[in-house]
Amino acid sequence: MAKFKRTLIPISGVVYGDIIYWCTILASIMVVIGTVETFITEKNVIPPSYLLSSVLDGNSVSQIWKGSPFGAIPHGHWYLGILPTGEGVTTAGLAFGVFGVIPAIFVSAYFLWRSHNGFFAILALVSAAITITSMLGVIPLPIG
Amino acid sequence: MVQLLRKVPELTILIAVTIIAYIVIEFAAKVGTEPAIGAFSSIDLIIISFVISTAIAIIAVIAGVGGGVIFTPIMLAFTSIDTLIIRSTGLVVAMFSGLVSTGPFMRKGLADVKLVFFGAVPIIVGGLGGAFSAIILSSYMGAAGDAIVRLLLGVTLVLIALLFIFGGSNTEYPRPRKIDALGQRLRLRNTYWEESLHERIRYRAVNVTLGGFLFFAVGFTGGFFGLGGGWAVVPVLNLVMAVPLKVSAASSGVLLAKGNAAAIWPYITVGALIGVVAAPWMLGQVIGGIIGAHILASIKAGFVRNLLIALLLLTSVKLISRGLEGLLGIDIPIF
Repeated sequence: MAKFKRTLIPISGVVYGDIIYWCTILASIMVVIGTVETFITEKNVIPPSYLLSSVLDGNSVSQIWKGSPFGAIPHGHWYLGILPTGEGVTTAGLAFGVFGVIPAIFVSAYFLWRSHNGFFAILALVSAAITITSMLGVIPLPIG
Repeated sequence: MVQLLRKVPELTILIAVTIIAYIVIEFAAKVGTEPAIGAFSSIDLIIISFVISTAIAIIAVIAGVGGGVIFTPIMLAFTSIDTLIIRSTGLVVAMFSGLVSTGPFMRKGLADVKLVFFGAVPIIVGGLGGAFSAIILSSYMGAAGDAIVRLLLGVTLVLIALLFIFGGSNTEYPRPRKIDALGQRLRLRNTYWEESLHERIRYRAVNVTLGGFLFFAVGFTGGFFGLGGGWAVVPVLNLVMAVPLKVSAASSGVLLAKGNAAAIWPYITVGALIGVVAAPWMLGQVIGGIIGAHILASIKAGFVRNLLIALLLLTSVKLISRGLEGLLGIDIPIF
């Protein structure tokens, strides 16, 4: 194994990591706020005790949502519609943490392109396109 | 630990905020205080989930496997929770320790951004295909479908454990005997600072085409079972592509997080990710992920590898027995 005297850490990796890192930290704070709100207020769209007991009882996703005030499985980015509530903020926090990957890929792809790594920049953009397609719910899961 | 908290102020803030939040919930909760399982209230379960998740994240990041490998089989084996909810929460567990460790790993040069993007597309496509296949199986076959998932996962875990047992030695700094033409053309090579040796290590990836195909297979299996796929990325990078073990573990975590970021959206958009259930697992993964990422640079992962093998084998026994119980309608009295 050869050993070099110095290493170069690519900027494309550093910006990718940093964007995701800080989005995840921010998402965690949102999730904490949402969890506190869920338990210390009584104005929840879906009571947390109902959700937890349904999940622990082994109810299916369809059964859980049918028994909730929603009455049916929600679709799309349903949590944005109940954003002020604890469940809405918690799920939005989780979604934001996942979303952070998308801008990170674009910025990283730019730096990869500039450093003459066009193939990897294109791969990055392809993975971003797939992730965005998935986020937009173009191909919904066949449940319910 | 104190040194780490000083070095990473955001970790200190996050831990403090989380602890304060759980104290506030414990004393000021207006809902969820009644017992949910035995004497445990919903709030107790959330705090227990957070603690377990933190421990899983530290182990998972050091081993480079993603927490889903530990979380999903245990939940499928030992609880009655719907497999779809376990798989969606499993993806959260598999993903967030990887997401948060991406920053430290990239800054230290431990994760290789080119390897990550090279593996991302086949893993994402495979992961989405696996997730859809699992849901179709569950929708059309009901309880039998769930039993098949448990049985297949049990067998898969045995295979993963065998891979770690028989493929895991003498691979810390692999020495490829040939030069890979595609790897050479793509410049899939790098150097990193090995803290435990106080040396800079150079490596170059080989068997690049085979690695791409294996990434697809890993993605499919990960998406199908909600494991996240990270369990096999380390062996593919290390054993097949001759990437040093530490770079494999770090790149695996980053790659896994990226792949799962695409695979989890379909679960979110149909309400299969229950926020109140997933939240403590996510927080534990973030905090444990930062701690694990800083520990990885300076330790040898042998102990964690052995622990993981034991856990995989133990869980596989339970999964196989539950799968057979569901399919054959028999009772197998195992722990």
